Amino acid sequence: MGYILQVIIDALSLGSLYALAALGIGLLFGVLRLINFAHGDFITLGAYALIVPAYGPNAIRFIADFPAPLLIICTILVIVAIALISEFLIFRPLRYATAATLMVGSFALSFVIQNLIIMIYSGRPKSLNLWSELTEIKFLVGDVEIALLPILIVAVTLILLLLLVLFLKRTPWGVQMRAAAEDFKMARMLGVRANFVISLAFVLSAALAAVVSLLFEAQTGILMFRMGTPLMVFAFIATVIGGMGSLVGSVVGGMTVGIVSSVLQAGLPAEVRGYRDVFVFGLVILILLVRPQGLVLSRAARERV
Amino acid sequence: MLLKVDNITVHYGRLAAVRNVSVEVNEGEIVCIVGPNGAGKSTTLLTISGILSPTEGTVTFSDRNITGMNPENVARMGISQVPEGRHVFTSLNVEENLRIGTRMRRDRAEIERDFQMVLEMFPVLGERKRQPAGKLSGGEQQMLVIGRALLTRPRLMTIDEPSLGLAPKIVDRVYEVLTDLRNRIGLTLLIVEQSSERALKAADRIHVLRSGQIQLSGNAADLRDGEKVKQAYFGFTEGVKHEGEVAF
Repeated sequence: MGYILQVIIDALSLGSLYALAALGIGLLFGVLRLINFAHGDFITLGAYALIVPAYGPNAIRFIADFPAPLLIICTILVIVAIALISEFLIFRPLRYATAATLMVGSFALSFVIQNLIIMIYSGRPKSLNLWSELTEIKFLVGDVEIALLPILIVAVTLILLLLLVLFLKRTPWGVQMRAAAEDFKMARMLGVRANFVISLAFVLSAALAAVVSLLFEAQTGILMFRMGTPLMVFAFIATVIGGMGSLVGSVVGGMTVGIVSSVLQAGLPAEVRGYRDVFVFGLVILILLVRPQGLVLSRAARERV
Repeated sequence: MLLKVDNITVHYGRLAAVRNVSVEVNEGEIVCIVGPNGAGKSTTLLTISGILSPTEGTVTFSDRNITGMNPENVARMGISQVPEGRHVFTSLNVEENLRIGTRMRRDRAEIERDFQMVLEMFPVLGERKRQPAGKLSGGEQQMLVIGRALLTRPRLMTIDEPSLGLAPKIVDRVYEVLTDLRNRIGLTLLIVEQSSERALKAADRIHVLRSGQIQLSGNAADLRDGEKVKQAYFGFTEGVKHEGEVAF
């Protein structure tokens, strides 16, 4: 009983991280048709922002020592600033380029960020404990101890989802974003500013990336210049199987990928556990064969059908 | 003069969709551009709205050069376009659709008055305020996009094929509304149509556009019999014009 509960909580917390990362990708795709492969590097940068930029082997704590609310705000601000600079330098000049060109631009940005991290912080992994009490506090359920962190990850995800929905449904800016995501030209002809809406999408996407950074760092306790890449890969897969352009799809896809990975991790016999991702990707291929349009159909896609 | 489109040429890639087209609209006028499919009518409207940029020529609105200005600023200048195919935001509800263009206005009290006016004009929109706009019928969607454009309080409204895909009865209603708007609040209109019959009735002046060029311009009153328009529209020459008995 306790064991199953632990598997469920692990599955939900991994699914939550993927869902948050996938939402960050989905928001930008909705407005700009950009598949931002640098999203994983935004996540990496969020973790590196916690320490003093220095080349040495040890992490010198900086933002990491701030009280939690300030720490969260500072990390978000750093990543939002980086995202807005990226938008201005790379994606604004490419605005009218094809989706493929935009994507290549995001690959380039990803390489630049990774190499900057290597130059500034060195390519060696560093260890950094963040909020270690979150993994130390445990609840005893039956015969199994369950840590606070995975529960917190799920709770934070639910709260952020709720806030995002409220923002998109209830605020004028949110309505403008939804309109632009559906029909960008028409929105502009009604006075919706393209630069504003796109910047807003970058801000939201970056804030989500920063939250993922912190939750992921608290979970792993390690800094690596490519730590965000696997998250990005799974989040991207999540947006594809969820249905590109649908935010609900991003969440559903992220949860699906996370839950499947965790359940396979727990359920596969030990000798094939190392090949878990083969099964995950096999399932992805299967889903795409059965539903090439993704699990959730976006409104824009539904219109075209 | 409110709008002056002066000798514009617009290219899609290397292909010129519109060549040396000039259109003028005075305050309070209804001007119609008619022409067959692919004549460059939509291109002209999209160029006025800043979605497309002309390779030559200028667009002047209320004495300001707006050539190449971005669409959101053109909208702020007071030009509101109802594009072909209506383009309602299907995932937004009816009220969100109506209000989205009011964000650029500063006159809060006036916005509410205009909103009530639109609901009076199209009661069905009020009844379905909370419904997703995608659920409305074609005619209702046409009312919605006209209302949405009106709520930006435009000085010039441009409409691309308001009759497209609508039942004749609903088309009548649309033109009734448009003419009424001109008479009541002095709205200036630039309408693009493929079939010219209704347009001719509603318009003060018309331009016939074919193959990217203006073939004929004139006062609607002078062109009512339709013969000249027919010639310009189909490109008949003097000698063969009676051979083609085309219902018009």
